[in-house]
Amino acid sequence: MRRKFLTINIPVIALMALFMLTINPQAFAAGLFGPPQTVSRQDGGLNTAIGYRYHEDTYKNGADHTFRQNEIYSQAAYGAKNIWEVYARLGIADMKIFDVFSSADASTVTDKKDFEENWKFFGTMGAKAFYPVNSMFGVGAFVQGTYYFSDFTDDVTGVSGGNPFIAELKVKNLWDVGGGVGFQVTLPRGIKLYAGPYIYYSEAKVSLSSDMSGLENWAGDFSIKNKSIVGGFAGLDIPLAKGFRLNIEGQFSDRFSAGAAISYTY
Amino acid sequence: MKSYLTVIISFIFLAVGLAYGEQTSPTVMPQNLSSPQQVLPASNADQIPVKPADKPAGAVADEYKDDDYANDTFKEERVEIADPLQPFNRAMHQFNDKLYFWALKPAAQGYKAVVPEPVRISAKNFFDNLGFPARFLSCLLQADFGGAATEAGRFSINTIWGIGGLLDPSSGKELNLQEQDTDLGQTLGVWGIGQGFYIVWPILGPSSPRDSMTIAGDYFLYPVSYISPWYTWLGVRTYKEVNATSLRIGDYEALKDAAIDPYVAFRDAYAQYRFKKVKARKAKLHPAVPQEAKSPAVNPALPEKGN
Repeated sequence: MRRKFLTINIPVIALMALFMLTINPQAFAAGLFGPPQTVSRQDGGLNTAIGYRYHEDTYKNGADHTFRQNEIYSQAAYGAKNIWEVYARLGIADMKIFDVFSSADASTVTDKKDFEENWKFFGTMGAKAFYPVNSMFGVGAFVQGTYYFSDFTDDVTGVSGGNPFIAELKVKNLWDVGGGVGFQVTLPRGIKLYAGPYIYYSEAKVSLSSDMSGLENWAGDFSIKNKSIVGGFAGLDIPLAKGFRLNIEGQFSDRFSAGAAISYTY
Repeated sequence: MKSYLTVIISFIFLAVGLAYGEQTSPTVMPQNLSSPQQVLPASNADQIPVKPADKPAGAVADEYKDDDYANDTFKEERVEIADPLQPFNRAMHQFNDKLYFWALKPAAQGYKAVVPEPVRISAKNFFDNLGFPARFLSCLLQADFGGAATEAGRFSINTIWGIGGLLDPSSGKELNLQEQDTDLGQTLGVWGIGQGFYIVWPILGPSSPRDSMTIAGDYFLYPVSYISPWYTWLGVRTYKEVNATSLRIGDYEALKDAAIDPYVAFRDAYAQYRFKKVKARKAKLHPAVPQEAKSPAVNPALPEKGN
């Protein structure tokens, strides 16, 4: 029985692994990871979801800065055999970067400290594969990536050396990619409890329109990256009623992120 | 100025509708009638359900002859509609017929050949989902709050979990939130406004002054109507019709071929069909109405629930 299972499913898992390794990391990356096992029907089918994630992270470019985002997204996924799934998301997210406009030089005074920008579109693609060890326990792997289609921009005004100024900070080409391994336990009533480690990399190009004394950290064009690339995640996937499921998940790398999604299985 | 004109024309139409109510006369359906005669307008065929006559003459009657309620069930009210514009209507009927055979059908056939059925069904679902405001308002105006809630639920679920309405999870076995088969014309009918006379609109197909309110109302309540510039709107509307037609090619032809005088058949079927729809809505709102009049779906001789 086990041999038959492996014979049938190993090629699928291998293809999934190949897919995960060959996708272009420049264009893909993270969000909620979800349970390692697909919630689609065994004979293949769609599941769709709407989700929200509160995301915090620390980025570095000389000094550390805390990023905060609220993401809302819609997801469509196709999975089969209870072992594999591919999914795509389209959503919007805002961005706040704390203390980015705080001047280190007393001669420069700005009208605000934080960078803030409203909703911009992003897209996510991902895939997951699952190996059921027994009826209760299983191990899965996933990869997913996100790309933001628009730039985040915010203006800052102030006085530098007695001269008024206005400068624009742009966060361009923000993308992230993450992958990990999840261990899943299926509890009574179909509740799935899962947890595991993940790695995560995020990058963006940043540019300040004019160099200001005291804002040297943001002078010129450069890249920012997330400070910590290793983290852990844990979550619950709970069947509701009439084909709906609730997924709640927390992630921790340098800072804590959490989210929830409600999915519907066709 | 344009809106004043619309209001004035609407008022005149309503007034005419009130003046011409349906003429109904209880009759017994002939025992050898194979199935009710149904015909489709050339471009508005989705308003009338299609049930091909796949049983021999008398089969329906035979099937139900042992039932106690058979005689009651087959009592039909013949609905007549005034047709003072018959020359114009016949010309428009002919025009719509040619439009179907010369433009809509070839376009739909070509489209059908290159676009897979699941994609076409998804497109239909998407446009149906956009029809939510008109259905929701119609339910509210009929004081059908359950229907309005169902429509609101359908719209929310299909928009959120149906990927913007491309999928229709609400109609599934588990949720079972079916689309409310209603429109503004039916609402006016429920309020007691008569059909008025028969009129065939070019492109839009069979209608009446009362049901022309549906055309006007749907225009304002259908989000696609607000697409600009106008040629984009026209393109989207045309695509919607071509897509819908691609899912029912052959139905119109079959029904047309079965009629001796297609114009008369279309007219009578339209009047009968709309009468039944209004009656079904009234029955839903006032359950005291006898069971056989509640819905066409419970009467084997009447059309199934419309699309």
